[in-house]
Amino acid sequence: MITVENLKKEYKLVKRDPGLKGAIKSLFNRKYETKHAVKGIDFSIEQGETVGYIGANGAGKSTTIKMLTGILTPTSGKVTVNGLVPYENRQKNAVNIGVVFGQRTQLFWDIPVRESYNLLKHIYEIPEHEYEETIGMFTEVLNLEPLLGIPVRQLSLGQKMRCELAAAFLHRPSVVYLDEPTIGLDIAVKVKIRKFIKEMNQRWGTTVLLTTHDMQDIEEICDRIIIIDGGTILYDGGLDEIKKQFGQKRVIHFELADKEKFVLPASLDGQVELLPNEEETKVSLSFDHETVKSSFVISEMMSMYEIGDLNIADPKIETIVEELYNKQEQGGKHEEILANS
Amino acid sequence: MRRYTRLYWEFAKSHMKVMMEYRIDFLIGVFSVMLEQFASIFFVKVVFDHIEQINGWSFYEILFIYGIAATGRSIHQIFFDNLWTLGWQYIRPGKLDRLLIRPVNPLFHVVADRLHQDGFGQLIIGLIILGTAIPQLDLVWGAAEIGMLVIMIISSGLIFVAINLFFATFSFWMIDSLPIVWAVFNMSDFARYPLTIYHKGIRMFLTWVVPYGFTAFYPAAYFIDKSGYKEFALWTPVAAIVCCVIAYAFWNRGLKAFASTGS
Ligand SMILES: Nc1ncnc2c1ncn2[C@@H]1O[C@H](COP(=O)(O)OP(=O)(O)OP(=O)(O)O)[C@@H](O)[C@H]1O
Ligand SMILES: [Mg+2]
Repeated sequence: MITVENLKKEYKLVKRDPGLKGAIKSLFNRKYETKHAVKGIDFSIEQGETVGYIGANGAGKSTTIKMLTGILTPTSGKVTVNGLVPYENRQKNAVNIGVVFGQRTQLFWDIPVRESYNLLKHIYEIPEHEYEETIGMFTEVLNLEPLLGIPVRQLSLGQKMRCELAAAFLHRPSVVYLDEPTIGLDIAVKVKIRKFIKEMNQRWGTTVLLTTHDMQDIEEICDRIIIIDGGTILYDGGLDEIKKQFGQKRVIHFELADKEKFVLPASLDGQVELLPNEEETKVSLSFDHETVKSSFVISEMMSMYEIGDLNIADPKIETIVEELYNKQEQGGKHEEILANS
Repeated sequence: MRRYTRLYWEFAKSHMKVMMEYRIDFLIGVFSVMLEQFASIFFVKVVFDHIEQINGWSFYEILFIYGIAATGRSIHQIFFDNLWTLGWQYIRPGKLDRLLIRPVNPLFHVVADRLHQDGFGQLIIGLIILGTAIPQLDLVWGAAEIGMLVIMIISSGLIFVAINLFFATFSFWMIDSLPIVWAVFNMSDFARYPLTIYHKGIRMFLTWVVPYGFTAFYPAAYFIDKSGYKEFALWTPVAAIVCCVIAYAFWNRGLKAFASTGS
């Protein structure tokens, strides 16, 4: 239902020297710098899929989503969503999509949430009975009842985001784009939101494309992930596969009484890597979860040093992305990764 | 069209509910505008206490021109006031994105996002002025005249809207075109007096370049025989339509530029 072919976006930036002199000079002699935000990506997504679209800051995620929603016109390449080209048929495409930008609100600022929904009902021409049914269900799942009478500007971030999500799904769109829907939220709200997205996907078969920096979002919502870095796709495939392939790195942070004296135990040599850690009392060890057991690393460390505390870090998506990126730079692997997927 | 009318009504209902919740703000807004307008009329009145006529125009004739300008401007102020905020409220903070993902015309959405209370003060003042001036003009008022007056006032309002939209659209290319919009808007004050009192250059400018002349003087001239512009005044509705078409086309170009730069 979504197909993307060789999609590119270049931003033109006016380059200017610092200071007033530079500003004046740029008035007469404009120099442009081209920023290649998205460098020719391809993918296609079927109806009902839940796809996590991840990558580091500035990787080009939001830019891609803006092109998919029709807000931005690509520099070249092609996008179709439900057979429509979004940036050519923006308004027609808008009927079938829902969007959440975590950084800013889609709702009407000054008027109570209920009124906002009522306006959306008219904008999307939702039939009354369908609207009532949807609102009833959302109110229950997202616990909106106490919020409906309050103007959006008076809501907390978490309250606002719950209302936002409901707004994005209100007209039962066939595809929903969520750009960092859980940014800045506490665990309880995140859990609620994930559950909601999942439920909508199951109930209505809504296609979900989600960007986030929280690996837990991906784990709980998505079946598939697409990793983008520096404007190119590094990986496109199932979530389980990538974890098997790249997510086996574990990191354990140890708190030592005396870090000065620390040297890596001989038994761990060659299997465990010492990561730089700024903190005065802490040492971080990284290792391959498949070949070295966490318990082994911990017991070896305990036998040699006085450990105050320890903490096993989850495999972070950033680490996986970084890993993938490094592999690509080392040459050749990139093609292999894509071929595997 | 029917859909948009209904949609506008829904938006307006929401705004009115909010306004009624803040009744005090509403009243203060209305009154402060009325006060401001009374002050400038009072100034004209003082001038006329000393001289009978300015360039052949009597006090009530000038009041009539003033009344058309005030009423026309109120249309702009009540319904289209949000155009002022295009740069700093929509384009800069990225709020325009929100409108682009909805199945409605984005300009409609910007406009419908606000209903401005101060405009009601302007409207009341405009109607009071017209009601005071009209009986003093030697003119027989029939249905045709009243119909014509309504058309003229709507045209005047549309020209205010078109000029603001045109200059607000520059915000797509610069940080915020508000200072330009503001500077241009201030020129409309000139058009509240008979254009014949000005130098020819200014007259031409206010007719052909920034056509504020059509917001007050020309439409009023239709009802004042000695003005010498009775026929020319008939172009007012045409001027309004042309201005709107040009401004809307320019807005669409701005939108297109936005879609390719993303800011
Ligand atoms: N309107 C714009 N004009 C110029 N450059 C832009 C614009 N928007 C984004 N960029 C640049 O394009 C690149 C990709 O940005 P994008 O917002 O798509 O990243 P992202 O993956 O969403 O990052 P994040 O995780 O921080 O949200 C960045 O280098 C950014 O600086
Ligand atoms: Mg982003």
